[in-house]
Amino acid sequence: MNKLNVRLLWQMCASLIAVCGTCAYAQDSVEFLNGTKLTGKILEIRKAAKEFDFETSIAGQSVSRTYQYSAIHAVTYNGKRFVINQLPSNSGNDPKSETVRGEKTEDEVRQIIDSEGASEPDWLATTRMNHPKSLELDWPLKADGPWNESKNVGQYLWGRVNPNPSRWRPGIKLLYECVRLHEGKSDLLKRDYSALGSKYFELFQDYPRAAYWFEKAGVRMNQPTGIHLAECYYRLGNKSMAMKLMRGQSLHFDSIKLLGEMGEIDEALNVTRVYGNTRAFNEAFLNAGDALRSVGRLDEAIEYYQKVLDRNEARNAEYLARYRGRASDSINAIRLFDKADVSKVANGQYTDKAVGYNGDLHVQVTVADGKITTVEVIKHKEKQFYAALTDTPRQIMDTQGIRDIDGTSGATITSQAIVNATARALAQGADQ
Amino acid sequence: MTQPQLTKFASRILAISFLVLAVLLACGLGMRWGSVAEWNDASRVWGWLVTGVCCFLGLMLVQSGWNDQRSPAVLRLDWFLPVIRRLPVNTQPGNSLLGRLLRKLALGVQSDWQRKRRGKARKLLRQLGLSWVASPLRRLTQTICLLLFCWLFFYVCWPYHARPNQTQTIGSVTFTAFDQDSGVAHFTIAADEPTVRIGQHIFLRPTDKTTPPTSTEELLGEFTVVQNSGDQLALKPVGQLSPMLLDVVTGLSSNRQFEVTDRSPLAWPDHYATSLEAKEFVPAEIFLMIDPLVSLSTAIASRSWVWSLGCAAAILLVCVVIPRGFCGYLCPLGTTIDLFDWALAGRTKRFQVPADGWWVHIKYYLLAAILLSACGGILISGFFSAIPVVTRGYLFLLDPLQSGVARGWHLVPGFNIGHLLSLGLFFGVLGLGFLRPRFWCKYVCPSGAVFSIGNLFRATERKVESSCIHCNKCVEICPFDAIKPDFTTRTTDCTLCQSCAGVCPTHAIKFVERTNLVQLKVDDEPPTNETALGRRGFLSLTAGTAASVAGAAGATLLGKAYGANLGSDDPFLPVRPPGSVPEQEFLEMCIRCGECFKACPNNVLHPESFQQGFEGLWTPMVEADWAGCESSCNACGQVCPTGAIRALPLDEKRHARMGLAIVNESTCLPFAGREACDLCVQECTAAGYDAIEYTQVGVQVDPQGHPIEGTGYAAPVVLEDKCVGCGLCQTRCFAINVKERHVLSESAIIVEAGEGKEDRLMSGSYKRLHQQRIQLSPSPFSADRSNSLAPVEDADTTSIATPDPFGVQTNEAESDSPF
Repeated sequence: MNKLNVRLLWQMCASLIAVCGTCAYAQDSVEFLNGTKLTGKILEIRKAAKEFDFETSIAGQSVSRTYQYSAIHAVTYNGKRFVINQLPSNSGNDPKSETVRGEKTEDEVRQIIDSEGASEPDWLATTRMNHPKSLELDWPLKADGPWNESKNVGQYLWGRVNPNPSRWRPGIKLLYECVRLHEGKSDLLKRDYSALGSKYFELFQDYPRAAYWFEKAGVRMNQPTGIHLAECYYRLGNKSMAMKLMRGQSLHFDSIKLLGEMGEIDEALNVTRVYGNTRAFNEAFLNAGDALRSVGRLDEAIEYYQKVLDRNEARNAEYLARYRGRASDSINAIRLFDKADVSKVANGQYTDKAVGYNGDLHVQVTVADGKITTVEVIKHKEKQFYAALTDTPRQIMDTQGIRDIDGTSGATITSQAIVNATARALAQGADQ
Repeated sequence: MTQPQLTKFASRILAISFLVLAVLLACGLGMRWGSVAEWNDASRVWGWLVTGVCCFLGLMLVQSGWNDQRSPAVLRLDWFLPVIRRLPVNTQPGNSLLGRLLRKLALGVQSDWQRKRRGKARKLLRQLGLSWVASPLRRLTQTICLLLFCWLFFYVCWPYHARPNQTQTIGSVTFTAFDQDSGVAHFTIAADEPTVRIGQHIFLRPTDKTTPPTSTEELLGEFTVVQNSGDQLALKPVGQLSPMLLDVVTGLSSNRQFEVTDRSPLAWPDHYATSLEAKEFVPAEIFLMIDPLVSLSTAIASRSWVWSLGCAAAILLVCVVIPRGFCGYLCPLGTTIDLFDWALAGRTKRFQVPADGWWVHIKYYLLAAILLSACGGILISGFFSAIPVVTRGYLFLLDPLQSGVARGWHLVPGFNIGHLLSLGLFFGVLGLGFLRPRFWCKYVCPSGAVFSIGNLFRATERKVESSCIHCNKCVEICPFDAIKPDFTTRTTDCTLCQSCAGVCPTHAIKFVERTNLVQLKVDDEPPTNETALGRRGFLSLTAGTAASVAGAAGATLLGKAYGANLGSDDPFLPVRPPGSVPEQEFLEMCIRCGECFKACPNNVLHPESFQQGFEGLWTPMVEADWAGCESSCNACGQVCPTGAIRALPLDEKRHARMGLAIVNESTCLPFAGREACDLCVQECTAAGYDAIEYTQVGVQVDPQGHPIEGTGYAAPVVLEDKCVGCGLCQTRCFAINVKERHVLSESAIIVEAGEGKEDRLMSGSYKRLHQQRIQLSPSPFSADRSNSLAPVEDADTTSIATPDPFGVQTNEAESDSPF
């Protein structure tokens, strides 16, 4: 045996020992808050981001995953056990769902906005931008000339991104690109931030990110974006933050709806009163009606809707028709609320319509054994703010009724139209 | 050993070896011996085919080898069932295995010659007709083949049995526990009646969809049910475990509840494709495949390998043993002509022509003309080739009836001059029966001519023994005019139908190997006056050849001059079925059989008339005003016998671009500022292509450049990299806006073919092409630039030595933990 062979043998031995060594290290384990336990190998710990990478083998398949501390109960690392979060008490309530619905302190909300809100969504890196080359990405605050979606970014976002869900993610990415290009131009950047917030809010209902960008934009309360920021706080679990933001400010009429939803109906009516003497009274009255309706003050709601019909004026005939349509649909729906009690509705499939944002919206409701089994928007012309089309029917199914439906953010008109149409459809069944 | 003994010996040896070979092959295939295990399905099918042929030959040789009553022969193909006939004078019933078996089975059916009484079988067959008595097996085969043809045509190619497969929701599940070693996750299921069985594949998707409806990235997991006890389900993930799926099985996903379905809710619909596949236990186009002229002329015209050449070769090989058996036994056109002759043409003698004339060799010259023009790149075999003629005849004549009766007359497409021409041709073929029975098959059919030429290599033939008494019965019954006046055989015409043997009173006719010379009758007695070149000899040969050359040249010139003119500036370019080969090759390969029209749901495909002149006649084109191509169907390619439309799997077909939808911005309702309309967008989204999206038009802007609410309309815009040109959008626009509401005079979105608008590949993957196109599609930014905004945080990688690697002190006393 020559020298080379001996060296090779030694090397082999050494590597064998090394392999055994790593095997021994591989027995780290992670205990999750939900009781699941995984064994594997911790690859990297990032203290600042409060996360670590963990490689595990599941039925022979090796998978790597990054875990946030927040999901972890304890970790055994190099044979030593570290408790990261205490297990929730045995009351059986679910820590996760609590964070979705329950109240949070201002600090908690702040932290969510600063960490999650400031982060990029994980799909952003893999999203391909697909906007036309002709788009002028310097995007001045004021677009010149007629409507041109292939040139003006704002118009592109409105005309091409909003109505086409497949363009939502590339649209967000485009806004990030605009932010990058407009570096140093503070007025443009403010607009970009606000647009980014709006997209996260309207399209994705991603409240942490929406709040982050709205804050960065310094949105004002006399704009819908300001009210949206307040709504973000509310949805994230802290109503007082929303109230604090709106207090003492002149509020956009969209706030009426939000205030109503937050239960601050008197505040809402105060705002309505202010708008009652302006050109925007139609929107204000309709919003006030919706707000009153959502807290069950139906007679007052009808009064407000009736005011829209009585004053009978708007910017043009088209607007007038729409406002009147929404008002009378809502009055009808309220009158039908008793009839639309699903326990009184005969089995069957009912279809009816109501006026939405862009025209008539048709809903098909199926009732079986006193339960709403499906609610489906079968025909609509809503091109902006899609979320309500799936969100509101789901809420109706969940609550088995049409009284306690939260308007879907940024799509309240569509949402209301679905509720109205459902009420009429259900009432058909009660007639029989 | 004497000559007969030698023959018998050879026959027995051959019989045994064939049977042994068949058994060995069957064992090898059945038990997967040796390399057989690695064979693919096609090879195995061929293996079984060879086994079957060996078995057939072996049994046939057994029947001739152990038959002691008849004259010796190596190969004896007598299947005209002498068992039901009287016996020859002074003979005993044969001792052969098959004969004895048949006599046992058919007790009392044999005629009793002593008392001159016919048996029951013979009486029954006489009711059916003389030709049934003469050769019942042949008539039976013909019937079965015609029925098979009709079954394939009217049942298998009838697409409307397909029902969309609905995704059933089984219930909703919530995570309970996970076991790492087995990879099994446990869920609680909430359902009215949980109906899952162990081993079933189920699909999980979040009940609350927080992400927007973009189907490609939706979280969806496929699982196998491992255990099912009451409301507890144990599920094992199928396939690669993605990080997202890992979260689902470990219960860490942000989605708490999952909806369980029995099929993937994102699966591409495939009901038409699977329905056809399930029905097609033999290929629907089998008769077209075995018509040798179809594949032969196509291959010559397109100068390429046509896969059905293999089938043509197989049938020609079979016809070495059974010369021209295709015409006598299988051809559905022949059987249709037989039926027509029996029902109509045979009832009058007024138009009859003599048996001999200039026409007797037309088929050879027609064949020559077809092959010559194929060399010139013009495919005219579809006009004359047997199976395309009968398929198209049935299509244009009977398919409208079937559609009308089964689905409603308003769903029957209209007809054009091309239809009439084809029907005229079909009736012309049938009408030739007035001249002589089966005039077409005997004298004109070019497919038959291929077999006639193939007969030169025949292994068996009809032989007449010296016991012939010149009674002329055989000449009278022969349907193919294949018996010379001296009662011997015109070997190129004989189809081995064996009717002659069935009527021969002296059992003088036998069907044996070509070299058999036992007890043969003397040739040319009575004299036939036929030359070696056949009837009419040299004169006919020269005239015919001249005619065929002239015909081929004429057809080629006509085709080119009055043709598609693809090279011209503005050629007519029809939208072809998905998977069609490039247009020039398509015209050269499409046999115009019409099979694709029959298989196409909703008659998307219409036969072309003379839009491309003579060259494009009867080729399939998409008529999107009538209907759009179903996303779940790939039938046209599956039934195409020549590969002009490639047989694509559905996954390929859904990416094959047949054309591109073009919005007419001057008529489209939103573009023209007339009204809101998004029929095409809805249709495209519902079909799953998502190739039409919204754009806003006619929007007025305020001084800030913001849209004024309520102005303008959402209008359709076609995404070129997604549109496959199925035409569903055009159908919808036409049906609603043109036909129902009369607001437009033609559809405002129209599918167009042409360079850059369609994919026409001779080979290769459409899916890959689609992916390449997406990657090449212009992206406004170069790939290397980072679009990330957030500064990359310095990774706080912790060394193993750190006592608190997580930054979280385990001891509460030591630090104020953030948790």
